[in-house]
Amino acid sequence: MTQHVSPRLAAYVALAAAGLLAGLVLGRVELVALAAPFALAAVVAPALARAPNLRVALELDRERALESEVVDATLSLTAAEYGRLDVFLDLPPGLSTAGRNPRALALAAGEERTLELPLRCNRWGAFVLGPPLLRAHDRLGFYSWETRLGGRAALRVYPSVETLHALLAPLETQVFVGNQVSRTKGDGIEFADIRAWGPGDRPRRINWRATARRGELWVNEQHPERNTDVVLFLDTFTDAQSGGRGTLDLTVRAATSLAHRYLQRKDRVGLVSFGGYLSWLEPESGTRQLYRIVDSLLQMDIVLSFAARDVAVLPPRSLPPKALVLALTPMLDPRTGPALLDLRARGFDLVVVEVSPVPFVDSGGGELEQLSYRLWRLSREALRARYQQAGVPIVEWADGVPLNVPLEEVSAFRRYAKPARA
Amino acid sequence: MTLAALSACSYAGVFAYTLARSGRALPATGALGSVGGLLLVVVLVRANAELVPWPLAFLGVAYGVELVVRGSSVDGAAPLIAVGLLLCGELAAWSVDERLRISAERAVRRARAVALGALAFGSLALAALVVALAAAPAGSGLAWTVLGAAGTVAVVGLAVRLARRG
Repeated sequence: MTQHVSPRLAAYVALAAAGLLAGLVLGRVELVALAAPFALAAVVAPALARAPNLRVALELDRERALESEVVDATLSLTAAEYGRLDVFLDLPPGLSTAGRNPRALALAAGEERTLELPLRCNRWGAFVLGPPLLRAHDRLGFYSWETRLGGRAALRVYPSVETLHALLAPLETQVFVGNQVSRTKGDGIEFADIRAWGPGDRPRRINWRATARRGELWVNEQHPERNTDVVLFLDTFTDAQSGGRGTLDLTVRAATSLAHRYLQRKDRVGLVSFGGYLSWLEPESGTRQLYRIVDSLLQMDIVLSFAARDVAVLPPRSLPPKALVLALTPMLDPRTGPALLDLRARGFDLVVVEVSPVPFVDSGGGELEQLSYRLWRLSREALRARYQQAGVPIVEWADGVPLNVPLEEVSAFRRYAKPARA
Repeated sequence: MTLAALSACSYAGVFAYTLARSGRALPATGALGSVGGLLLVVVLVRANAELVPWPLAFLGVAYGVELVVRGSSVDGAAPLIAVGLLLCGELAAWSVDERLRISAERAVRRARAVALGALAFGSLALAALVVALAAAPAGSGLAWTVLGAAGTVAVVGLAVRLARRG
């Protein structure tokens, strides 16, 4: 506990000494009387000052919350000595409170007080709150003691999930049962075609109408329902920000919505964070994987690095064959483009959603700035054309546009463009 | 705002009393008190707590000049002047403290007001005692000598105890 003494106290001592000395030299008792209150304050204040023995506990009503939800923080305070206590809980940028923070309260000796602080979760993130900053004062404000007490409390704020009406269907499915109708034929529900009966075909698969018309046995064929592997490939090299929002923020929100929806569909979802700090999660299914992915997304940050990166550094199991690789990138770092085209060249079903940094970039006022801005936009167009030449669907997604829009654009692209085999 | 106004009122009261009694020393006391008043305004407007003692020092000097010029008669209002100066400084410091954006409970303000009131009352009593003791005839017996010696020992003892605590 750090003790601070107000400079007023030293000044009062000086005033008292000067008054007493002047009274002695000039032989005036009034000057001694003038010095008396300051001398009294200088004597009484240290005599009554006691460092408070504080006990503080910080608790949150829950550890996980969604964006825009309110979490209650509770501070329990006890002091051995009476005094004024200033309490301040330092809040990270993603949290705010409508409650009184900081707050000053009068705490009697031995009294236990509980302070409630409603915290509004404005933005997703993994936050650590506390320990609260406490400053105790003596009664006249001559002495104060400052400390941080009460421990820490972790809070994970998950991004809100956007409702997605349709998801991108991968070109190929996996062997396990799922909700995605496979392009291949086999046991399933969805009707695919009819063919002539062959040995081993079950009688219940006979299409009696076709059999009656053709005079020989014909059987139905179905598309089996299979699951898919989806890898969310996030470009975390750079972030374009403006007004508290940025491309990383949009990327994390989109990845959360996609992971949530694909896992709901019983698909396996993996995650690759491709940036200054490389991390990955192998594709898995289930609610546990959703929490793993979202927890991993919460800790995602931009780490500046000049190291060369390519997909060869990723473990093979993080990118399983026939997986749909859904890349979310602002296309700002030159290392991302070659890596994605390399994935395409390896035969992955790649879709690029360009998280547009354009709304976050100021085009500038000068002629030169305008020219460089236009050149930058043109270079982005050229990069987009390179992806399209390689048969990679690429769509631009800007802030404020629902995620359904780029997904529908990709579906339309796939409907009219045949996948190019590298 | 109220605290700042009270502090200014306290200063103005002491200054007015000093000016009223100044006579020949009016230019000197007026100048000193005005400088102190300006400093107090700076303290209150700019919330600069470090300057709080300076207006008190200037006004105290002005009062001292007035006393010296006036002559040997004891001013019976000296304890009130002393408490006025103390209240001026304390209220100014409190006013500066309140500028911090900390939402304080009413009990916090009440506790400080009570403590300040107690200090002011104690100061008044002490200053009055000093003035009253000075009026007592000197060398009038053993009792006064013993009282003086006891007082000195008590003050020294208190100072030593505080020094050890510090």
